[in-house]
Amino acid sequence: MARPHIEPYVELNDPYRKFDIAGFRGSLHKVLSLDPDTGACTLKVRFNGGYRRKPGLSYSDFEVFVLNGEIRVGRECWGEGHYAFIPAGVALPALAVPQGAEALVMFNDSEPNFEESGESHPLALAEGLVSLNAYEDRPWFGGGRVQPSVATGCLSKVLRMDPLTEAYTFLYCMVPRYEQDNISYHDCAEESYHIWGTSWMMQFGELPTGGYFWRPPYINHGSFRCTYGTLALGRTDSKLHNYFHYNPWTNPQDNLRRAAARHYRQRPQLYRWQASDGHNHPHGPPDYEAPDYGDDAHVRALHDR
Amino acid sequence: MAKRVQDLKPARKADAQAWMKENVAEQKKRYAAIVKEQEELGPEREKWVAGFLKIIQTKGFNVTGDVRRIIKPGEIPKKPKGMKKHQVVF
Amino acid sequence: MARPHIEPYVELDSPYKKFNLGGFKGSHYKVLSLDTDTGACTLKVRFDGGYRRKPGLSYSDVEIFLLNGSMQVGKETWREGHYAFLPAGTALGAIRVAQGAEALVMYNDSEPTFVESDRHHPLVLGDAFVSMNSYEDAPWASGSVVSPSVATGCMIKLLRFDPITEAFSFLYCLAPRYGQDNISYHDCAEESYHIWGTSWMMQFGDLPTGGYFWRPPYINHGSFRCTYGTLAFGRTDSVLYNYFHYNPWTNPDENQLRAAAFQYRKRPQLYNWVASDGHNHPHGPPDFETPDYGDEAQVRLLHGQPVGGSPGRRRGKRR
Repeated sequence: MARPHIEPYVELNDPYRKFDIAGFRGSLHKVLSLDPDTGACTLKVRFNGGYRRKPGLSYSDFEVFVLNGEIRVGRECWGEGHYAFIPAGVALPALAVPQGAEALVMFNDSEPNFEESGESHPLALAEGLVSLNAYEDRPWFGGGRVQPSVATGCLSKVLRMDPLTEAYTFLYCMVPRYEQDNISYHDCAEESYHIWGTSWMMQFGELPTGGYFWRPPYINHGSFRCTYGTLALGRTDSKLHNYFHYNPWTNPQDNLRRAAARHYRQRPQLYRWQASDGHNHPHGPPDYEAPDYGDDAHVRALHDR
Repeated sequence: MAKRVQDLKPARKADAQAWMKENVAEQKKRYAAIVKEQEELGPEREKWVAGFLKIIQTKGFNVTGDVRRIIKPGEIPKKPKGMKKHQVVF
Repeated sequence: MARPHIEPYVELDSPYKKFNLGGFKGSHYKVLSLDTDTGACTLKVRFDGGYRRKPGLSYSDVEIFLLNGSMQVGKETWREGHYAFLPAGTALGAIRVAQGAEALVMYNDSEPTFVESDRHHPLVLGDAFVSMNSYEDAPWASGSVVSPSVATGCMIKLLRFDPITEAFSFLYCLAPRYGQDNISYHDCAEESYHIWGTSWMMQFGDLPTGGYFWRPPYINHGSFRCTYGTLAFGRTDSVLYNYFHYNPWTNPDENQLRAAAFQYRKRPQLYNWVASDGHNHPHGPPDFETPDYGDEAQVRLLHGQPVGGSPGRRRGKRR
């Protein structure tokens, strides 16, 4: 994905602007990050009281996290903390916002788009739909989901996991007086929005409430501190592995090569297969379990296709 | 090739085209502002880095979770010669 | 211990008073809770800039948690988050406070006492001494140290543990959006001071920064909520077991009977032994591992026996 490195960006002082795209008229928005090629984006949207939309679908996967207020979605009521993943082509019922609401809205495959429809598209992967209240319907989970692991005091709730890429969306928090003395980078892009609280990283300083980042792969971040606690929504675009180190001055190229060197040492046959001529298929190696994975829009986006 | 809903997306209409143009330009400005702001943080970041390198030699480096390792003086990285700016936004 | 149920008490709006007891002159204090018999107490103390004290000891176990500022204690510098447990008779080095500091100071066995001395008392239990920075020297751990357990999102740092009674002192926190839908009570008294943040219990409502409670045994508390996170210092006076239930209207006597019924069902032989005539020794049954445990001040206090100059009083009447 070709979103630039936006870190840190504190959106609270920037004004909302009219959202003049079909399906969003009557709402206001701010762009937090945008892929200039595909139009994939993360938006903060304010749905004013009285906003209504007919049933319809998007040609992109999209995710919604309700920051405050209430959105009526057909018979469901999405309140503060509601999270939804809507696969491309899945028709959402009519929307109504009686009193106003703010939400993060993320289009993963293209610019925001909407088409009126009472029925889902026949090719929609409807089983991918997720709709839950992140605050109430999931317990906190201690660190250690990923090894090597963050320090204790960083807790998460997995809201959605993509089985093909292991991209995932999660609520996370740092408890008061959190600290972690290492520098981290990942193979994936990472995104975060601070719902509440301030935390600190050695590179970027403090990120307060309303703070946001879209961080491309292999970029150093950390060490980490948090004095009073932080609650945030996070996402990755593929599998997250914590590469920890303590050299403050490495750049993304150095970090990528170090990741490749680990691959070389730890999965020698796989490395050799990938590196050898004729096997390095541009559409990815065959996978007998998921033979069509190369068609997945998200996988294609990860490989700039 | 299996058809995906995403492949059937109609071409961008004028409103979407205008939206893209406006927001790509905005984002370029924002990126430049972030880079400038982060460069201005340079002197303070130097102190943060010095503090970090001290902590990992005393309290230790978080290897995984709360497992820490004390880094010996000989293992401490040296700032690359000739590095004028410590770039953190890429 | 006969401290009354103080919950909730938000001390921030109450003024400090001059502390005119030996060893504390030049400081100010607020009483958060006080045992009316023994004088055992939890205080918030403000050591003004320039405060000095010579080396000395107390005849009570003392705990200190430094909320802000810093103090020189002998050769050590105690900063924000420093925790110390000083067993009775421990001679602490000279104290010097250059710029002012606030601390929780807890006397566990008697009213605040201080005797100038640069030597420990010969009977001091020096092994129990603890001095550490709770913010920096201990990692967070899951709150599930006790089972049945609190919900995930409640984490603790164990600062001091008494091997005889399993009383413990701890830093704890609640993660933002913490939720736990049960009602809890314990066999122990429980104490807490909110260093930062607001949390909510169904009985007492919101407890904000500066909020405090001393809660005697068997008192219902919970369900629990915390919107933005909380950092707090907590203590118990003996082992903490979470008796969870969902009846909002039970009283402490009913809760205690239920706890006894647990014993009856789950440790039948022990229950029978304790309940039978002649075995229920007022100083406690013999323990081959720690034969002298009945002499320990904390154990005696728990059983209302005299400690130091205090007459002691049967524990149990809470209200």
